[in-house]
Amino acid sequence: MLGLLGVLALAGAAYVLYLDLLVTRQFEGRRWTLPAQVYAAPLELYAGLQLPAPELAHELERLHYRRVTRLDRPGTYRTSGARIDVALRPVNFPDEKRDAQLLSILCDSNGIESLQDAAGREVPVLRLEPLLIGSIFPIHGEDRVVVTPREVPPLLPAALKAVEDRRFDSHRGVDPQAILRALWVDLRARQIEQGGSTLTQQLVRSYFLSSRQTLGRKLREAIMAIALDAHFTKDDLMNAYINEIFLGQDGDRAIHGFGLASQFYFGKPLAELDSAEVALLVAVVRGPSWYDPRRHADRALARRNLVLSELAEQHVLSAAEAAAAASKPLGVTPRPAGAYYPAYLDFVRRTLRRDYREQDLTEAGLTVYTSLEPRAQDAAEHSLEHELERLDHLKKRGAEPLEGAVVVTTPQSGDVTAIVGGRDVGYDGFDRALDAHRAMGSLVKPFIYLTALESGRYNAATIVQDEPVDVKLAGGKHWRPENFNHDTNGPVPVVRALAESLNLATVGVGLDLGVPKVAATLERFGLTPAPEQVPAMLLGAVNVTPLEAAQLYNGLANGGFHNPLRAVRTVIGADGKALKAFPLQVTQVATPQAMYQLDRLLVQVMNRGTGRPARPLLPADLVVAGKSGTSSEFRDSWFAGFSGSDLTVVWVGYDDDAPTGFTGSAGALPVWAHIMASLGGHAWNQPAPEGIVDMEIEYPSGLRALPGCADDRVTVAVPAAAQIPAKPGCGFPEAGNPVTTLISRSERWLHALVH
Amino acid sequence: MLRALVLLLALALGGCVLRGGPLPPGGPPGAPAGGPQGPAPGAAAPGTQAPAAPGEPGAPPRPRMGPAAMALLGQARSQASAGEFAAAGATLERALRIEPENPLLWAELGRLQLSQGNPAQAEGMGRKALAVASGDAEAQAAAWGVIADSLRARGRNAEAADAERRAAALAPR
Repeated sequence: MLGLLGVLALAGAAYVLYLDLLVTRQFEGRRWTLPAQVYAAPLELYAGLQLPAPELAHELERLHYRRVTRLDRPGTYRTSGARIDVALRPVNFPDEKRDAQLLSILCDSNGIESLQDAAGREVPVLRLEPLLIGSIFPIHGEDRVVVTPREVPPLLPAALKAVEDRRFDSHRGVDPQAILRALWVDLRARQIEQGGSTLTQQLVRSYFLSSRQTLGRKLREAIMAIALDAHFTKDDLMNAYINEIFLGQDGDRAIHGFGLASQFYFGKPLAELDSAEVALLVAVVRGPSWYDPRRHADRALARRNLVLSELAEQHVLSAAEAAAAASKPLGVTPRPAGAYYPAYLDFVRRTLRRDYREQDLTEAGLTVYTSLEPRAQDAAEHSLEHELERLDHLKKRGAEPLEGAVVVTTPQSGDVTAIVGGRDVGYDGFDRALDAHRAMGSLVKPFIYLTALESGRYNAATIVQDEPVDVKLAGGKHWRPENFNHDTNGPVPVVRALAESLNLATVGVGLDLGVPKVAATLERFGLTPAPEQVPAMLLGAVNVTPLEAAQLYNGLANGGFHNPLRAVRTVIGADGKALKAFPLQVTQVATPQAMYQLDRLLVQVMNRGTGRPARPLLPADLVVAGKSGTSSEFRDSWFAGFSGSDLTVVWVGYDDDAPTGFTGSAGALPVWAHIMASLGGHAWNQPAPEGIVDMEIEYPSGLRALPGCADDRVTVAVPAAAQIPAKPGCGFPEAGNPVTTLISRSERWLHALVH
Repeated sequence: MLRALVLLLALALGGCVLRGGPLPPGGPPGAPAGGPQGPAPGAAAPGTQAPAAPGEPGAPPRPRMGPAAMALLGQARSQASAGEFAAAGATLERALRIEPENPLLWAELGRLQLSQGNPAQAEGMGRKALAVASGDAEAQAAAWGVIADSLRARGRNAEAADAERRAAALAPR
């Protein structure tokens, strides 16, 4: 009997030791792991930036600058007429440490006119601090922004103690008085109702994710809490609690810690919260879903005011302060603050995983600077949500909502400025921008025509045959593609074949050039792995993700220069030193002449062809170029196109590959147009390279034409030496005429001279 | 001899940018030195202007760089001279985000790649500089200079000599 007791005691002691080890290790691990913090691109302010005063103020608000009448501390701004004064926060860039300082921004109707420092000196250029867009945490779905004790308003720990654990400073991890009281309540109710847990016990529970409350678990929890209390200081435990505790749910994303909860509910840093806001977060601790201030505002308000009266009762706040706070509204933002971009973070994470171990990302305290532009991201998210809603109403198919994805880049730098992975933009799940491999359809056509232009045998006016095609495949099968409307158009100029996305004409050109040639062009522009070399590739039987499509079109938008798309610019180590940079890289992959001719053809897609429905949605002076894509049976609706400053790719479809009933022009194009209109970029307007001239031709026939002799004309870019037949009666000298010969001779001579 | 001349020219050009030179204040936003950016809607689309003859005498001087890009260029050069090449590159990229079509910035980034021993990347930058330098003989010469040096660094001497000839032919008289 004694022996048995001894064994039991030994086992008990071993169990306690084991729990002690377990919880201590967990705590130590948590205490010293710092997730990588990910930042958006900083906004560069400089004279000439086209950002009108109201939008500038909006950007400051996004960074949680508060509008005030007197600049009293960093993080505030005031406006007076066309002038904005900002008390800038201190900021620490890898290459620049800047103290808090005053900046005056003078605006005119276009944007920023000048920047001045406190002494009235001109400031040529200045970066605002970048927006924190998330952190990379080990456990899927668990997100937090870690705060240091300095960033915590003193009211928060005081209020937590007052409401959750009055004897926190004196007990040893568990509070027997509170437990007895809870037990009494539980016994009377014959079920477990009341916690009586200390903050330390709650911390243990959060570490080990045991939500079920059994007596055994509570015992285990109590032992662990005592162990923690014995090993660590109260300050350490409080700091861990503040960073650990669960405070809300947003789809798959669990909101942990008060640092993130402050951003999540109020859109500003914890340090800037007032008493009412702190009290609300303390109220939410007891039941983040029951007291969800967005879904159950009444309940949350009642509990917040209960917390406030408790604080007054315990003299944490004065009665007047508590009453004033209780009269305030909840003050939560209508939806989770915008600085959460799961699809973009997904791309960042994948980029970093190539160079870093998962553990480095989640624990090493890295700082990651990205190319995300919050303005572009917002434009992409809103346009996709709104347009998909509208399209859902138009379509006949049942209740299933359409899906979509967007990628926006800055072509010259290859910066990816926005990624939307689905219409539920805050959902951290299937990222269509990166993972939906879909048939690119007619998005492939520009690469066929680029190959054609490079061959020197084709130009914009070259006549191609839009006639039935029959290709014998291996195994005796035949491939007989058709036009979209099952019609044929006979001889048409290249400009029309591409603008109207004629399948038969394009397949004819592609077969003439050879499938391998076209495949090689796609490869040069960054398609990996190389596409399968089958004739159906000429109609886009190549699966690409929206991000891959953006990579291909980025080269078209960047004048035939390939640069690897990048989300991450720099990674900074915990010591503040740059660990890794992803510098700009450019490789020329097409001749400037062929590229320019193709881009001018893509401008005509917007003016004359399948991109035309976008025109009324865009500013009249915004010259854009692009191409629609529709895969077979309307399964995929694509649009890819660019201005002089931005490239946007949009995909719309169903996850299960069901037909949507929408062409690229009907589905993806309006999304694209809304995004391009809100980006406020500038026109595509490249100067013609050497040897390329403008020429007017008749759109249906491709014949050289003049005003007055042909009604339906279009201006195309062609090689200066190209022989383009003139429309009879257009007043051009006939071929073989001595004058023509003289002109072409002198043209050639001039050409040679220039070279 | 010819090569020395070209190098001298390239240096002179580089120096001109380095000092900031007698440059007028920056052009309007969105209209950096890369080329006219005016609105050109509809069928009278872009490119209707004839490409200016390179090195055309009497061409009006154009604003080459705004004060923001100029300040960043200066900063990049001090970073580069302190051996902080990665930081210099990042600063030049900031300048390029403000003036993405400024050939002088692309050429500068190419020079930086050369000093870091990345001639292949330098050539890409030089070609990009050339592509956005339409009508600007000096910038074209600077671009050809970068291309020439990047080719020379990889032992492609015949191509390099050709690029040098082009640079020399474009240099201002």
